[in-house]
Amino acid sequence: MAYVIGIDIGSGFSKAVVCENRVVLSSAVVPSGGNYGEAASRVAKAALEGAGLSMADISFTAATGYGAEAVAFADRSATDISCHAAGIHHLFPSVRTVIDIGAQFSKAISLDGKGRITNFVLNEKCAGGSGKFLQLIARILHMKLEDIGELSLTATRPVQFTTGCAVFAESEAVSRIAEGALPADILAGVHMAMASKIVNLVTRVGLARDCAATGGGAKDRGLVRTLGSELGVEVLVPEEPQVSAALGAALLAPVGL
Amino acid sequence: MSGYFAGVDIGSSMTKVVISGEGVVASVIGPTGPEHRKLAHKVMEEALRQAHLGFGDLTYVVATGYGRINVPFADRQVTEITCHAKGTHSLLPSARTVIDIGGQDSKGIKINDGKVAGFVMNDKCAAGTGRFLEVIADALAVPLEKLGELALSAPRPAVISNTCTVFAEQEVIAQLAGGESVPNLIAGIHEAIAARIFGMVSKLKIEREVAVTGGGAKNIGLVRALEARFGYPLLVPPEPLITGALGAALVGKEAYERAIRRGETLERSKTGLREATFFS
Repeated sequence: MAYVIGIDIGSGFSKAVVCENRVVLSSAVVPSGGNYGEAASRVAKAALEGAGLSMADISFTAATGYGAEAVAFADRSATDISCHAAGIHHLFPSVRTVIDIGAQFSKAISLDGKGRITNFVLNEKCAGGSGKFLQLIARILHMKLEDIGELSLTATRPVQFTTGCAVFAESEAVSRIAEGALPADILAGVHMAMASKIVNLVTRVGLARDCAATGGGAKDRGLVRTLGSELGVEVLVPEEPQVSAALGAALLAPVGL
Repeated sequence: MSGYFAGVDIGSSMTKVVISGEGVVASVIGPTGPEHRKLAHKVMEEALRQAHLGFGDLTYVVATGYGRINVPFADRQVTEITCHAKGTHSLLPSARTVIDIGGQDSKGIKINDGKVAGFVMNDKCAAGTGRFLEVIADALAVPLEKLGELALSAPRPAVISNTCTVFAEQEVIAQLAGGESVPNLIAGIHEAIAARIFGMVSKLKIEREVAVTGGGAKNIGLVRALEARFGYPLLVPPEPLITGALGAALVGKEAYERAIRRGETLERSKTGLREATFFS
């Protein structure tokens, strides 16, 4: 039995997946904090505990993400783009377009039938198209990030934001709340603003079906639904969208291991 | 030609009123507040008080700015681009390019013979506007008015690689935690804003002299950072916030004088000076 672990150190969260024979045994997500090396140990430990294992049981470690270099004990590392692609291809072999919505970066990735990357674009410049926007709004609504998706689905009159900028939208949201707008409607409006930016990214690589969303932002069901309706396709989402790249990293383990 | 002309410039943050007779007789700057229409008349009242005038003494009132349609006692609304150009031209006749840095937007205006010859604007992205400075001032717990002098005192401006206000704020906090000094960080932020504004204004064919107006012009650190980009000194009027309101007053004066010459009567607003209501 060969156990492998894939670790994805993101700017917001660190993720780890433990696999055996290319099957997921356990996964973990923790905030990265300021020290990526420490985050790597912390998330690996959490994932291993979930599988009832320890680092001594691991035959192969692969790292990816913004802070991949900090994973000193990795046998291999790869770009998070390639790991997202590998992870999603493993879960949804029919997918040709992947949208990754991270805390700070959003990416659109085109894949071929073998899961190889044919094109990608990323937005790292503007908070309006990233998970950060969701964090800002959740904060002013005094809500937990994990609850906003569900609530947004109940919106009946989405707020129309006049801006795509997270900073201006935050002020606009505060005004709308003072005027009596409901949190669900605020969230639906934010999703529209974000979807607009993300759709631009997808257009640049060219949308090809099937389409999947990954990353922390994909846990927001309202955002995914809005994206789907703006793109005109059903957007597939893995059960644990935050760990797709960690899974892809784990899948880098040499075959036969 | 005697008579008093008033200009009301309702910006996203501040409302400015200028009353002009033979020269500027009063200028007042007050907060706009969440509902533009409710506070404009208060700023006008204060300006009238300073000028020792009553509302009835005003010959013509022009409103401009973001909230100009919400000034029921104004006789005319004119775009802020036109008013800024006119106001700056009257204060600094040699200015051919004006950079206005407001609370929520920034603009570049070309002036030819006192008339608008081109303009660019950013009102989509908080970076490059006064908002960016507010966010950073908050994050560093420094009063907004102190940013400029702190920036000038910095021995070595930090390099801020993020252009987005949100991410730049994160970066500033991270660098601060890493031991960078507050003045260096503030200087770095000013350079980032200056680079962004310079990039925007460069879309116009920049001609000297270049003037800076709006709240951002009161930040000496930002002006210096812009000067470093341009490579020459920039002109700043003594009260950079009132150029729009001054321009509005002058537009009103010109319109009135033109009407007199043609023997026409200008239509005046029917409402007196009072707080705006739902109906007007």
